[in-house]
Amino acid sequence: MSGAGSLKRRITVTALIFIAPVLVYNIIFKIVPIFVSLFLSLTKFSGFGEARFIGLANYARIFGDSEFWRAVLVTFQFSIEVLPLNMLISLLLALLVNSGLKGIGIFRAIYYLPVITPMVAASMIWIWLYDPQIGILNFLLSLFNIPPVNFLRNPNTALHSIVAMRIWRGAGWNMLIYLAGLQGISKNLYEAAAIDGASSIRRFFRITLPLLRPVHIYVLIVGMISTLQSFTEMYVMTGGGPLQSTTTVGLLIYRAAFDYMDMGYASAMSFVLGIIIMTLSVVSFRSRRQKEAFE
Amino acid sequence: MKKWILILIICLALGFTAIGKTKVTVWFAGTTEALMEAVDDHLVPAFEKANPDIELAVEYIPWGELSTKLTTAFAGGIGPDIFMHGQAAIAGFAETGVIMDIDSLIDKLEDPEDFGGTLGVGLYRGKNFMVPVFGSGRLLAYKEDFFIESGLDPDEPPVTWEQLRAYAEALTVYESGRLVRAGLDIPVSAIDLQQVWTGFLIANNGALFDNDFNPTFNSQSGVEALEYYVGLIREAKVASEYGLTPIGNLEPIAAGTAAMCFMNNESLAAIKEYSPDVYSKIRLAFPPARYGRAAFYSFAGFMVSSSTKDLEATTKALSFMTSKDALIAINTALGSLPPRQSGVVAEYIANDPNLMKFVEGSKYAYGNPNVPFWVQARDIISKYLERAIMGVMTPKNALDGAAEEIRKLK
Repeated sequence: MSGAGSLKRRITVTALIFIAPVLVYNIIFKIVPIFVSLFLSLTKFSGFGEARFIGLANYARIFGDSEFWRAVLVTFQFSIEVLPLNMLISLLLALLVNSGLKGIGIFRAIYYLPVITPMVAASMIWIWLYDPQIGILNFLLSLFNIPPVNFLRNPNTALHSIVAMRIWRGAGWNMLIYLAGLQGISKNLYEAAAIDGASSIRRFFRITLPLLRPVHIYVLIVGMISTLQSFTEMYVMTGGGPLQSTTTVGLLIYRAAFDYMDMGYASAMSFVLGIIIMTLSVVSFRSRRQKEAFE
Repeated sequence: MKKWILILIICLALGFTAIGKTKVTVWFAGTTEALMEAVDDHLVPAFEKANPDIELAVEYIPWGELSTKLTTAFAGGIGPDIFMHGQAAIAGFAETGVIMDIDSLIDKLEDPEDFGGTLGVGLYRGKNFMVPVFGSGRLLAYKEDFFIESGLDPDEPPVTWEQLRAYAEALTVYESGRLVRAGLDIPVSAIDLQQVWTGFLIANNGALFDNDFNPTFNSQSGVEALEYYVGLIREAKVASEYGLTPIGNLEPIAAGTAAMCFMNNESLAAIKEYSPDVYSKIRLAFPPARYGRAAFYSFAGFMVSSSTKDLEATTKALSFMTSKDALIAINTALGSLPPRQSGVVAEYIANDPNLMKFVEGSKYAYGNPNVPFWVQARDIISKYLERAIMGVMTPKNALDGAAEEIRKLK
């Protein structure tokens, strides 16, 4: 008994030693900052000197701040535009890559390239693509005698233009996730369906899509978390303009913290954004579970 | 074994040498190669030779990251002893106690009288917080070949608002309804918009704030200035409401897509470097007048951290970096305007008529007000000006909206 206990203890200690680096990293760089910013959200703090405790005043200010709620709407619009298209394109790419065509590996690498491109670099590339004078998109439009469009300076097109860039950049990553999902589906199912006379379209809708449901949920939640935190592309490509049409909550938080030295308010906005994201993630998980239980 | 002992001795010796020195950290704003070369290769060695007991640790921070890095560094207790920033940042830093007033250090600078009035840009609530390092101005730039092509005399640039609009209309070119060349490329968003519009406001006898920091820009003068500005874009259509895009570092005037613009000396220096042919055709004029002329000028300079550990060493570094020779070296590298009167005779200015024009234009200079909430106020003004330009609000409503929002900041 004591031998078994000692073994168990040794296993526990070994496990702790192995997870210690990640644990320490997470405590220092994730858990502690969460509590620090929760504290800061209850203070008036410029980033310098002492933080003055003001209770829930920053949260009360958020509720009356029309700029914040406008930014929430822009952030949601961005997320809603990016996610479905991103998932659709990623799935189509994954199906293509999974088809086993000759030389498809090269395309897989090409589709993945945007993922490893830093966001700032990707944003700069797209600024050039969109340029009204030297951009290739406007050159293509000019071939059809369409006057140049100032994609990033027109409030009607700016957000959609960033959406396109974001889809381009994210599709490769989600393609890999979908590919892993596709390769996890047993070929026997397709063979059995084929013997029963199911067409390839029917096989896709009756086998592939339903069995990829956990992947859809994963891609949706991770994508949602990522798009709701969008900052870099707006900061680089439009600075939040024109007419605040691309000002996301992330950009607003940055400005409050580092341009206006209002760390307390920035922390409070971060927490509200965090709560929104957490709520949406929980709802997504729950709806998946309920659907599975129903089936 | 002997080898290891020798290495140990060398390391210890180096370590003790470093320990014996006082370290002064200086953050420069901007990462221009010429600036880094001038400072790293000439100024730092010269200072350390003259002050063997002080180590000068210089870092270069891109302008866009400056506020972020300063905030995090000071919050973490590792802020620099001396740092460069624009004069618009003075009030905010002074209010939060990040920087110290340098009234007691002014006498220790080399020939402080040589700064003339430019030392005054560092004043906040009667105390000095910044030694200016370089200046930037904004004048009316125009291309002489476009003037000739449009039947205008390049020796007679516009001097009134009415002439400015008439000239801009004559210089504007549309082809099949497309704007091919803007007669006057004026900013339509962000800081540039606020700075250029403020010039029109001041030329029209207006002001941004009164002495108690209350907004006054929504006066009749402000509304007229904005109506004129919006009229250039929406009625005369001499510029794009979405603005023109620079090509790389080059302003639209350099690309031939604009005939006139309000240009600062940094942009002009970029054209000189990357497109000398175009530069030879660019002429400068003082901004056209209404009741008076007004040209936006601003200075960036060194501020001293309140938490500097060795004030004596920091003062020596500050004095050296703002000496006549150092400022000429820095301004030559940047192609910027020197804050010292002695710098005006520097070779790089005397040989360049355009830079001389910037020096002359300083008599019409106005700068940003030193108010504690300036950065936020500036963004609010820009936001509402943009709304007027886009036709979402009338000029009066836009200015009233901005004033109301700024009042809440106080």
